Amino acid sequence: MNNKLSSSVPTDREVVLGILNGSEEVLNRLYAGYFPMVLQFILNNNGDDDDAKDVYQEGIIVVYNKVKSGNFELSSKLKTYLYSVCRRIWLKKLAQQSKKTSNIADFEDVVIAVDEDIEHHEEKDRQFEQMQAALLHLGEPCKTIIQDFYIHNLSMQDICEKFGYTNTDNAKTQKYKCLQRLKKLFFQT
Amino acid sequence: MRNEIELEAIIEDYLNGKLTPAEMQAFEALRIKDPSIDHRVVAHKVFLESLKDYGQTVALKHRMDQAHASIDVEALSKALRPHPSFIVNMWRKNKATIGIAASFILLSFAMLYSINQNTQQIGNVELMRSELGKIKNSQSSLIRKINSSAAVATEPRNERPANYGGTGFALTSNGYLLTNLHVIEGAESITVVDNSGTPYKVRVIRTDSQYDLAILKITDDKFKGLSSLPYRLKSNTIGMGEEVYTLGFPKDDAVYGRGYVSSRTGYNGDTTQYQVSIPVNPGNSGGPLLDQRGNIIGVISAKQNQVDGATFAVKSKYIQEALNSIPNDSLNTKVAFSKRNNLQGLSKTKQIEKIKDYVFMIKVYK
Repeated sequence: MNNKLSSSVPTDREVVLGILNGSEEVLNRLYAGYFPMVLQFILNNNGDDDDAKDVYQEGIIVVYNKVKSGNFELSSKLKTYLYSVCRRIWLKKLAQQSKKTSNIADFEDVVIAVDEDIEHHEEKDRQFEQMQAALLHLGEPCKTIIQDFYIHNLSMQDICEKFGYTNTDNAKTQKYKCLQRLKKLFFQT
Repeated sequence: MRNEIELEAIIEDYLNGKLTPAEMQAFEALRIKDPSIDHRVVAHKVFLESLKDYGQTVALKHRMDQAHASIDVEALSKALRPHPSFIVNMWRKNKATIGIAASFILLSFAMLYSINQNTQQIGNVELMRSELGKIKNSQSSLIRKINSSAAVATEPRNERPANYGGTGFALTSNGYLLTNLHVIEGAESITVVDNSGTPYKVRVIRTDSQYDLAILKITDDKFKGLSSLPYRLKSNTIGMGEEVYTLGFPKDDAVYGRGYVSSRTGYNGDTTQYQVSIPVNPGNSGGPLLDQRGNIIGVISAKQNQVDGATFAVKSKYIQEALNSIPNDSLNTKVAFSKRNNLQGLSKTKQIEKIKDYVFMIKVYK
């Protein structure tokens, strides 16, 4: 039942370079290439497509963060690494749902230890959720201003025009207020 | 308020590395001087990094969602989902186990097959058995057969063309000898040679095709008679594992052979014979089989081809029976076996020393 991965699956080197360069094409090929592997694993171990999507995306995020942090050594095949990570994540989820985690049907021969990376990822995930919750509480228009400035890298001038502020100083003051509130929300939790 | 905004902007610029070197120096001095500012810098750094990570993760998720949308998840899950059928699931999950089980089954089939082959070999032995039966029932034809192909060594026999040899042993001190019927059957002339090499003429007194036995009598004038027999005929059967030995003439000189009774029945369960594990060769036929105490327990008669250590010997009980069936009036003197056994307690060498005068080589001319 090993579905042949399509030939467009990028090589491990390509993936590492693609991640560092932020290549969208490599991401798409990577995503499509290994999804069936994880889907099969989840489907055969008490999960559905949505679970597979969540777990797989978390797995890819782990790979991205690892590559970006410069810690990714090609000591194992990327496929094996990704499989191991997704497997670990799914087993944790199963354990949280207090479903049985014994008798796991595996579809890859090699499973490597990834606990450290998973822990690191969980820490990051907590921060992500904190930020998400904080932004949610922040409300509009602050949320958009902050996102535009800090994430989408818009200039104060652009924001000023977008939100119809009379001058950039007003916009800056507004942004400052928003940021202070967001910080408060973020560090509170 | 304005100062606060300015300070925040400076911190941000500082973290983003947008300050000029001079400003940078000044700000770092300020950081060291004022711990509260230092704290704000650190907090802002953590916050900005979190915000940046958040942004990146959101972007990545967005792109992955796009990639996900391009995959036909429905079809894939259909192909990869555990099959509703229990058997297919079993197969998928336990491929390795099933594979191992299958190879074991294959292996056992192979073994069964090879056992079958063995059974076929036993079948071959059966065939040989019938051939042996023929040997017993129609010795003359067999001799002719051996004649035509000297390589067939089923029967102990010398391979000199038209000149056969066997072994015989004395039944009485006055010259009665016992040998196998197949040794002397069809012979034109028979000569026996004693241990010292003296040949004597003999006459066939009695043949018993049922037990493949023949009784000869030395008729030669040179024959002066033997001293009393050292061995006696054992009347009851002996058990498996009993150590036995024989003396015979597979060559022109006597050859000693040692073995043990491996079965109480002979070829294919023939109850008139023992199966003995003992090395014998053509020419051993008719030789006495003795136990450790020097009792004659049988007569070496045949050897099974292709099977190691399967020699057959006619049980002594049937020797006695054959002797008894001889009508008294056909013999001048009753064939009587010695009742004493002089060999008991002697060492093997001593026993052989005594026996060898009573074992004869039989030469048959046709």
